[in-house]
Amino acid sequence: MEINVGRFVFKEVSPRRYVASVALSELREAVGAVVMEDSYFSALTAVDLPKDGKIELDYVFWSIKHRVALIIKVTVDRNNAVVPTVIDIVPGALGGELEAYDLMGVTFEGNNRLRRGFLAPEDMVEKGIYPLRKDSGV
Amino acid sequence: MRLAIFGEVLANLFRKPVTLKYPVAREVRVAPGFRGKHYADLMKCIGCSLCAVDCPANAIAMDKLPQPLKHNQRGIFPVVDYGKCVYCYQCVFVCPVKAYIVTEVFEMADYTTGTSRDLSLSTVKGGGSV
Amino acid sequence: MVVVEIPIGPQHPALHEPIMLKVRAEGEEVVEVSVNTGYNHRGVEKLLEKNSWVRGMYIADRVCGICNAVHMQTYVQGVEKLMDIEPPPRANYIRTLVMELERIHSHMLVVAVMAEVIGFDTLFMMIMRDRERVMYLKELVTGNRVHADIHMLGGVKRDIDEAKRDKILKELGVIEERIKHYKKVFETDYTIVKRLSEAGIIKRSEALRLSIVGPTLRASGIKSDVRSDDPYAAYPEVPFNVISRDEGDSWARMMVRLEEALESVNMVRYIVEKIPQGPAIPKAIPRAAKPGEVISRVEAPRGELLYHIISIGGANPYRVKIRTPSFLNILNTEKVYIGHRLADVPVIFVSYDPCISCTERVVVIDEKNGKKTYMSMRDLAKVRVE
Repeated sequence: MEINVGRFVFKEVSPRRYVASVALSELREAVGAVVMEDSYFSALTAVDLPKDGKIELDYVFWSIKHRVALIIKVTVDRNNAVVPTVIDIVPGALGGELEAYDLMGVTFEGNNRLRRGFLAPEDMVEKGIYPLRKDSGV
Repeated sequence: MRLAIFGEVLANLFRKPVTLKYPVAREVRVAPGFRGKHYADLMKCIGCSLCAVDCPANAIAMDKLPQPLKHNQRGIFPVVDYGKCVYCYQCVFVCPVKAYIVTEVFEMADYTTGTSRDLSLSTVKGGGSV
Repeated sequence: MVVVEIPIGPQHPALHEPIMLKVRAEGEEVVEVSVNTGYNHRGVEKLLEKNSWVRGMYIADRVCGICNAVHMQTYVQGVEKLMDIEPPPRANYIRTLVMELERIHSHMLVVAVMAEVIGFDTLFMMIMRDRERVMYLKELVTGNRVHADIHMLGGVKRDIDEAKRDKILKELGVIEERIKHYKKVFETDYTIVKRLSEAGIIKRSEALRLSIVGPTLRASGIKSDVRSDDPYAAYPEVPFNVISRDEGDSWARMMVRLEEALESVNMVRYIVEKIPQGPAIPKAIPRAAKPGEVISRVEAPRGELLYHIISIGGANPYRVKIRTPSFLNILNTEKVYIGHRLADVPVIFVSYDPCISCTERVVVIDEKNGKKTYMSMRDLAKVRVE
């Protein structure tokens, strides 16, 4: 089963979970389209994939209109993890972006509230370590 | 102005207080099945160490048996450190021979309750201190 | 007028857990609030990557003290999907029973805390006294007042018998009567109504964009509840109503919680009377999961709880992402305080039902045993206890 949101196609992977992989440049358009479907931002997961040299970001939304979870997946290069911010479209994504920056090292350009020390304690911040990365040594 | 709980406050003036003056008065009502102090029965334990592998708090260490027991080929038995234990009872559940003895004892905030070593050794005939 | 910056927290009598609300106030009126977290960070997500699936259940359970059964349920539900196991129906009913008991006591707790924050200490003490009855029922069913620890991969660890069922039904009658009384107090008492109404209104049109969840969302007029939209455990079979209100202020949020507690009492009664026969305790514990990923969602007392579990096969998870409801509710609602008086700030904050231990549980920090804890059988035999 598929759901069409704007020009993006979400495919069903399990009951009530629909996934679409988009390119980095289409991210803001996809988020804007999903928000139109009467949905709210639920979570932002950052997964470190050192073997592929990438970090995968999963934006999870819950759509009240369709009663399903719509998940947008983007991948970004691990050594240059810069992603456009979405907090002007969805203010609720603020916590997710702050957490991904502080713990995984993904920079969201356009978000001027990013800071280290949001969640990580001071000794991590001083050493410049992003704790959730696989090679962080913690 | 309606003070909605006025009636109850008035009734409480004439009721006994619910405060239990513990530790002077020790009749604490614990429900049956409460997860309290536990230790291994060495007459049943086979030394498989599954409890030590599964403990989320790393509170179980395996120690050598003081005397050989026929049903315990490896010669080791679990010792629970009550300070580290979180009383989740995963060890009690995962034991293949149900060797853990469970109690409802919860008064363990003192310096004498260390580990379950003596309690476990007391289940062996002739065991005790080594 | 001069703008004064007032820190509320990290230690403050009005707050129950350490968090800093930097409030900038002009006279008595709040101009800006910024929320500072980071005082309670424990590194749970990294810990979950280093421990096995079975140990992870207990780590997930200890993320929060009040909502521990729902954390364990979300984790176990996700892992069971990865391992392709289906728990038996009776186990689902027992899990739902524990979760609903937890919902009742959590709602009573936040109502009591709200009474304390506005200065109504007598009501706080009375609600806590009646909450002890619910804690006794939890102890009867699970073995502990706070941490339930009742889930197991493939079922539950304990069963309930006839004696326990009768005890539960008897106590429920008393609990229901007391909650109805407290609901009447919140509806009619002059101080409570005056203090809580019009404080922190979140309008329906901006509720979805702010990503608030749980009773906070339902008090703004949107009927969204994971138990009915995305059902799990025994919820497809247990009938209940989704409560929502239109006012969107702190009073509506408290009323939604009190009415939900009454719904939960009815659900517990239904579960205890109609629980199916059959096995509930699994025989063998599975240890390895297949590669894949799963998103599991559950309605915690505070809102929607989401676990995103990724596995590449093997005995440990690869990545576990926990997104708790308080994370969204507290951090996204900074603009709601503006325009209110300083004394309204704790009232609005408590009406979101904040659980700071849930808000900050991400990543690493386990310096003590940062090494792997796998040892072979031979190594285990060599370890001595001092």
